[in-house]
Amino acid sequence: MNRSNSRLLVAGTLALITIGIMFLSIGGYFTPVRDFLSRPINAVQAWIALRVSAIHDTLTAPRDVASLQAEVSRLQSEVARLEQEIIGLREQAAEAEILASLLNYARSQPESRSIAANVIGRDPSPFIRSIWIDRGSDSNLSQGMPVVTERGLVGRIAEVFPTASRVQLITDPEAAVNVTLQLARTDGVLVAEFNGELSVDLIDQNTEVTVGELVLTSGLGNNYPADIPVGQIINVRRRDYELFQQAGVQPSVDFDSLHIVLVITNFQPIPLELTAP
Amino acid sequence: MSYIVGVPLLSLLAILQSVLMGYFQLLDGRADLVLVAVIAWSLTRRSEQAMVWAVIGGFALDLLSGLPFGMNALILLIVTFLVSFLEGRFWEAHFLMPLGVMLVASLTYHILSTFAVMILVQDVSFAYVFRRIILPSTFLNVLIALPASQLASALHYRLYPQEVEL
Repeated sequence: MNRSNSRLLVAGTLALITIGIMFLSIGGYFTPVRDFLSRPINAVQAWIALRVSAIHDTLTAPRDVASLQAEVSRLQSEVARLEQEIIGLREQAAEAEILASLLNYARSQPESRSIAANVIGRDPSPFIRSIWIDRGSDSNLSQGMPVVTERGLVGRIAEVFPTASRVQLITDPEAAVNVTLQLARTDGVLVAEFNGELSVDLIDQNTEVTVGELVLTSGLGNNYPADIPVGQIINVRRRDYELFQQAGVQPSVDFDSLHIVLVITNFQPIPLELTAP
Repeated sequence: MSYIVGVPLLSLLAILQSVLMGYFQLLDGRADLVLVAVIAWSLTRRSEQAMVWAVIGGFALDLLSGLPFGMNALILLIVTFLVSFLEGRFWEAHFLMPLGVMLVASLTYHILSTFAVMILVQDVSFAYVFRRIILPSTFLNVLIALPASQLASALHYRLYPQEVEL
């Protein structure tokens, strides 16, 4: 057998094996093997991510202001907490106004239970906007759980492995979030462009959308809990010949500097199979 | 023997690609450490081993990616197979050859990936992807092609020392 034939034989065999595994994976038969292989890979990934993050912090921060940096980060988290509180209070006030007119403002909202997770990596493919966190099914996480930071919505868990999970960011073009505009009191759908830019689509043409107003999750569709901040309107695109208007959104979360996130564990999203027609 | 080194090495490179390369982005492009390693090994005249490396490295990437499982493995295998046809050409000995091969391999890898994504995952603008991902990634891959091929040659020399007749 000459060199060329032997090369062709190796390539053909490997292609058949790969395609076979691809089909097994699509059918879900490869999940146990993937879980088994993911465990050591994710453990090493978490170990490396921790050190890389520490080195990155050391290199990017001036060393003589370490204590100031701690103080700044404490104040930043305090500001973020207060901003969150203000957003919550504004939303409550707007809601109360509507509900009071209906003589039914009693509404109970269960406190969110959450679990903190470290961000240990990003999708190696530039086509997918997702992150890896160091918690998985061993920590009782499941697919569809919302992921947030103190600043707002990050995304939802797309895949769960024993010790890690993949979180689909809201900037992924495949993600769509039902949102509401805080002042206009109208619903829309948050969609992402391929370059990560966010916009709210399906806004009624008659609605007056204000630049700067907050975008919150609406809770419609039961994919995310209601009233989680998503971002702020930065521009409005209204054309008379279109059915709906669109608005550009500046996300409240900085997706390039995510280190720790919170997974809301007591929210039960409707499984996709049940929502299908 | 090369597989004993290859499996952990490629797994580590896939992890580094996930953890580290986000810090070294050029536009939306990043260096593809696994692709570079596989092509560098292919250039040591071990193209059949490189194809096995491609599948192993591809699966390691697939474990860390939201793309359909096996997609990276298959595309890397195709690219390595195509690169294997360059083996034995008269210009093979030229010291700049790794740059040319990496340029072609990287462009092929990303163009195939883009088409696979367009078919299987989501519709994307090819012009945008070419400008923001393919060209910057290829530039970064070519940038590390020479040191990678030197490292691969050194590893090859250690694993398969040349016999000398006395």
